[in-house]
Amino acid sequence: MSSIDIYNPLPLHLDPTSKAITLSHPTTSTATTALATELTALNTLHRALLETPSQIPPPPLPINPKRSAQITKLRDSANAAYRKNHFGDAARLYGYAIDMALGRPGWEPVTLARDELAALYANRAQAWMSQRLWVEGLVDARCSVESKAVGNVKAWWRGGKCLVEMGRWEEAGRFVERGLEIEGRESEGGKELVGLLGEVREGLERKKRV
Amino acid sequence: MVDWLSLAVPFAYLGVLLGSLATFSSLYRKRKATKAFSLEPWFPAHVQRDIYFNLLHLDPPKDSGSKEKKSPAVPESVLKAALLRRAIEDIKRVMQLRSQKQALAMLLQRGSVGDDLWQRFTRAEKEMEEEVRDVVAEANAYVPGWGQTIFQSANEMLNNDLYRERMEKEQAKLEEERKWWEKKKANTQEEFMKELDAEAANATPSRKQSESSAPAAPAAATPTTPTATSGAATPNSSTPAIKTPESSSGAPPSVAGSSDDDGVLVEADEQGKK
Repeated sequence: MSSIDIYNPLPLHLDPTSKAITLSHPTTSTATTALATELTALNTLHRALLETPSQIPPPPLPINPKRSAQITKLRDSANAAYRKNHFGDAARLYGYAIDMALGRPGWEPVTLARDELAALYANRAQAWMSQRLWVEGLVDARCSVESKAVGNVKAWWRGGKCLVEMGRWEEAGRFVERGLEIEGRESEGGKELVGLLGEVREGLERKKRV
Repeated sequence: MVDWLSLAVPFAYLGVLLGSLATFSSLYRKRKATKAFSLEPWFPAHVQRDIYFNLLHLDPPKDSGSKEKKSPAVPESVLKAALLRRAIEDIKRVMQLRSQKQALAMLLQRGSVGDDLWQRFTRAEKEMEEEVRDVVAEANAYVPGWGQTIFQSANEMLNNDLYRERMEKEQAKLEEERKWWEKKKANTQEEFMKELDAEAANATPSRKQSESSAPAAPAAATPTTPTATSGAATPNSSTPAIKTPESSSGAPPSVAGSSDDDGVLVEADEQGKK
């Protein structure tokens, strides 16, 4: 018939017990490594699919509530640890929750994962900051605003604060200004951002004078 | 005899003429066809699709008849996963085509790109249309009604993958940032220590000579800095002066890697002590 039925033959092999697909002649050229990574992705997807009813991804909505409940539980225990000033434990628990949220099956709506992870990353940033670990806090705050830019004043503020603490004034200025642009000055946390921006400007002045 | 010979000459002439024309025409047409066919495809090989078809046609390599009967070559779930991977790649390609179409049409209108490119593009478009239809048909063959949601799921999966990748990239910066920060911390500390040593070196000889003149010595060693910054730095110099030891490692912004600033802090500290 047409070209739709033409395909390139590939040396594939099916493992009879694990049902994993592998290359029958593993070589190390670049083309086959790309193929091998694709096959690994296929096998992971296959394993994930085996747990779903009739082995096809369910429609994006409604979501399986089990994972959400687990994530909420982890986050609550992390919040409790934070309130007890066990910042290291809190960061670790937030990390577990983040891993859990990252492990959501791919066919669930991406907006859900984004919202969840934005909050978790912002919280972990706070936990890092309480231990004066500015680098870790900065990276998590960046992840948080990457996940969800709007309505995430806390993460903008935390990221800016970490940069300030590390003395990276120019970067802090840019970061906070971007946050202000997105959040708006009149919003709830906008004032705090403006305050932080003032601090940044002061720091810049001081650096210039020296 | 002579008759036949004279007749053969025009026939031979005609034969050669027609023969050469025919060969030329067939060669020309063949070349044109191969050229049209060998237009580079728009996309590289569709690996996921190849995998899917290969799995469909994969024969069990063992020729023991009993095993073949027990299980078909590839379990259906694997094929479903492969089909889903194929749908994801299809979405990527369709999106690419959609975003490229307008720009390409404009370039073609202006004459900036050749006809070849447009031909390749339209061929790719047609192929993708067929490909999408094929995937939907296959999906419906596995589970009735899956055709409606397979591309929806594939789209979410694609977006999720992209998002995870970005997060990973952000988290991967952690090591680099941490190294930078360690270095900077070490630098500021070293500078701070050097300043301190310098101060000590300045202070000890003067103390040895006469203890009464010692308080004046540090101030005299760096006469410019205190006067230049005393007015500006006083509002915040009082706080860092008190907590200099911890804040030097915890909050280097105030130190900012400049020796002069350190000098001021030490100065303030010394003065605060005395």
